[in-house]
Amino acid sequence: MATVNGYQGNTPVAAPAGTAASRQPVNAPKIVDSQSVLRRLQSELMALMMSGDCGISAFPEEDNIFSWKGTIQGIKDTVFEGTEYKLSLSFPNDYPFNPPTVKFETGCFHPNVDTCGNLCLDILKENWSSAYDVRTILLSIQSVLGEPNISSPLNSQAAQLWSNQEEYRQVVLKLYKPPSA
Amino acid sequence: MVSDSITNAPIPSAPNSKDFSKKKRANRSAKLKQCKLDARREQWLSQVAVKSKGCKEEGNCAKKERDRSLENLRQRDEDNNDDGSIHHESDSESPSNSPANSLLGGGGGGSGGSDSGTNFIGSSSSRSSISGSSSGGCCSGSITEEEEEDGCLDDWEAVADALAADDDNNKPEPEPENSSSQSPSESQLSMHSDSTPELTNGFGLDSANSMTESARMVPRISGNNTQAWRPDDAYRPQSLPNLAKQRSFPATNRHFGHGGVPWSRNSVLGAPSSCPICYEDLDLTDSSFFPCLCGFRLCLFCHKRILEEDGRCPGCRKPYEHDQVESEASVQGGSFTVRLARSCSMIARS
Repeated sequence: MATVNGYQGNTPVAAPAGTAASRQPVNAPKIVDSQSVLRRLQSELMALMMSGDCGISAFPEEDNIFSWKGTIQGIKDTVFEGTEYKLSLSFPNDYPFNPPTVKFETGCFHPNVDTCGNLCLDILKENWSSAYDVRTILLSIQSVLGEPNISSPLNSQAAQLWSNQEEYRQVVLKLYKPPSA
Repeated sequence: MVSDSITNAPIPSAPNSKDFSKKKRANRSAKLKQCKLDARREQWLSQVAVKSKGCKEEGNCAKKERDRSLENLRQRDEDNNDDGSIHHESDSESPSNSPANSLLGGGGGGSGGSDSGTNFIGSSSSRSSISGSSSGGCCSGSITEEEEEDGCLDDWEAVADALAADDDNNKPEPEPENSSSQSPSESQLSMHSDSTPELTNGFGLDSANSMTESARMVPRISGNNTQAWRPDDAYRPQSLPNLAKQRSFPATNRHFGHGGVPWSRNSVLGAPSSCPICYEDLDLTDSSFFPCLCGFRLCLFCHKRILEEDGRCPGCRKPYEHDQVESEASVQGGSFTVRLARSCSMIARS
């Protein structure tokens, strides 16, 4: 393996073959890692269930621990009070070194959530840290609901309306459809 | 004696085993048991070695724990006296209880003599050492060797208390074997002459501070002494260690002893016991690994993984410093140089 890398470094011509070869060892540890990813997700599930945080919950889908369904409730005294949102969390094979993909399954009228439910949150992208877990993700999303980042909105209509909290509340309640399950 | 117990093993277990493979397993389990037994004995002896150095410092704090465990032990004393004779027999006959039995970490207390023989050497040694100390207290002259046992007691008790509670339950049972394993070690003391004075010091300190303790222990002497095996005892279980074997132990003592002390310190400090990234337990190298100024700690595997991709500390999101990357390559020296780098930069800032 070391010789292959050295070869690649010295002769750019062989680069394609070299990268193809070097990709394998990157994948190989990932397969081994899946055991530790499982362990981590299981531990997180336990911790989340034991923590008893109010307003957030999550649980793996039937037979796939890499895919979770979570719910968050709007924080009291925000325009989202009394609403509940269902999310899907999909964990990559190299979790926690890369963040899970989080989407709103319930429509959410929010400056940082687009109409498809995609969420723009720095800690789930460039500011991800492997020290985060499902619990901190859900708590972060919960707090972002009440404190959106207006400067880079996905939903510009919501961003514009944010300054008028009373009207915003009306729109939230009008558009809100409680999660079915 | 090892070979004896092994060759005997399949015979008593024959009714249990329906085919040859099971016999084999029983045989293997007997060997395994012997290994465990040896390991336990080494561990226990290492406690003696540690004790000989650190008895003065640790004596006081360990005393409370010792007090507690003494009470526990005393309560179980009666049961133990009853159990004792039973276990002598069962142990000498059947080193070959079912494999599962010997594999159980510290299973059912009353389940089998062989069980106690393998697994509880350590805990029971603490018990027998208590008896030693008590006798040492009242008839100091003749039983000087047993003061050594007392020397190891404090330290061992601290460790034993930290162990799972079910260990406690099983403590009394293996006593017969242990007192026998103790007797060789007593005679072994003569070789160890240098450590003896310190040990007696430790004991003196103990006895001075805790007269009540020794007073309480006195009544137990008779019971324990009648149960102790002598090297020439006819009923002495074959699987018990012989003197020749124990002579080789002191060489390895140091290593075990040093490992044990930091462990107890760590638990006191409340350092993270598992990596926050992969949730695996931190080993000794990991727990002395300080990769970032922010104090966020993780195991070496996860650290390496992060360096390959993101390169930022999960705790503060600042990039890991480059010199730490290099030090990380050499695992042994790594933690130390990192610590140095840390203190240097702190000085520079302040």
